[in-house]
Amino acid sequence: MTRRHRSLHRVVWPILALVVATGFVLALWLRPPPEPGQVRAIPRAAPMEQAA
Amino acid sequence: MSVGFRAVQWNRDKLVYDGILVAAVALYIAGFGVVAWRIEPPKNLPEEIDLWIRATGTCAFLMLTAILGIGPLARLDRRFLALLYNRRHFGVLAFLVAAAHFALLLDWYVAQNALPNLGAELTRWPDYGKFIGFPFKALGLAALLILFLLAATSHDFWLMFLTPRVWKFLHMGLYAAYGLVVMHVALGHVQDDRTPWIPIMLAAGFGTVAALHLVAGWRERKADRAVGQATGWLTVGPLSSIPDKGARIVAAPRGERIAVFRDGNQVGAVTNLCAHQNGPLGEGRIVDGCITCPWHGYQYRLADGCAPPPFTEKLVTHRIRVAHGIVEVDPVPLPPGTPAAIMVA
Repeated sequence: MTRRHRSLHRVVWPILALVVATGFVLALWLRPPPEPGQVRAIPRAAPMEQAA
Repeated sequence: MSVGFRAVQWNRDKLVYDGILVAAVALYIAGFGVVAWRIEPPKNLPEEIDLWIRATGTCAFLMLTAILGIGPLARLDRRFLALLYNRRHFGVLAFLVAAAHFALLLDWYVAQNALPNLGAELTRWPDYGKFIGFPFKALGLAALLILFLLAATSHDFWLMFLTPRVWKFLHMGLYAAYGLVVMHVALGHVQDDRTPWIPIMLAAGFGTVAALHLVAGWRERKADRAVGQATGWLTVGPLSSIPDKGARIVAAPRGERIAVFRDGNQVGAVTNLCAHQNGPLGEGRIVDGCITCPWHGYQYRLADGCAPPPFTEKLVTHRIRVAHGIVEVDPVPLPPGTPAAIMVA
């Protein structure tokens, strides 16, 4: 790797780690409480709407 | 190394590598399907497709985690160089698994005659201003597009066309794709699924990759600073400090690293950057009289930095001298292919 490539690595990874870790923690922290009586652990991929 | 175009230069090592990869992917997806089916059998076709969406999605995430871990692991421990050798095929396979994940998602909508709903989800513009409720499928789609771009330009043709420097920067896009994938799952699946397994997988995978890159980057920083602001000829050390058929790497101030090789009584210095992918030549060995890159086996003569005929790659070389038993190297590079190695008593 070139010196510039190594320098970029050293800048990119701390920023990426911080941004993704913050986003991940917030996504867990802010997620809505489970609906009462919800029995299915793994839901469908997305809430469905009636097709036009 | 090749003197003509070939789609893929297959050899036994690549076939074994790819065979293991394909078998591992098939085994993982089949195993996931069997286990998930036993725990909670799908009640209808959309649930069955949903199961395979999760199987391919987790598989693609784990593959990306492994691919991103190989680079820093190889910097920290030479035993991982074997995995680096054919990493591009690993990356292309990861793209194919991610594409299968997307195709299954489309199938999930089609099975319910609701494909327009996907378009509606992706174009509900106010949702892009939310954090919880963000259209997470757009993040996955963006990651898939990056993976497609990287897979499409993975061939050596693009490496030569774009130059190794530009190609390497382009392929650093994988880091962004990985971050997008983590957030795609965190803002999608994790919002509904209350089991801890997916958050644990995400945290462990991303945490490990980030830690490996940070540690490897810190070590490289130390190596780059080793020479400091020295000027003029750089001290390499006594002749005996250079391993026979190996090299010592010297960090030139403000320049690229220099690999000083010894082959018996012959000592020569070349840039540490392989002409193929800027691999660390100084971590390679002299094989059959040629400096051999540890990444993909590209070879160069020690005497002048030229690849043996019929190959045409040339390396920048550096002058060498021995003063009072100490080998020294001139940090000023010579034109590629200039003979500069010397014989020492």
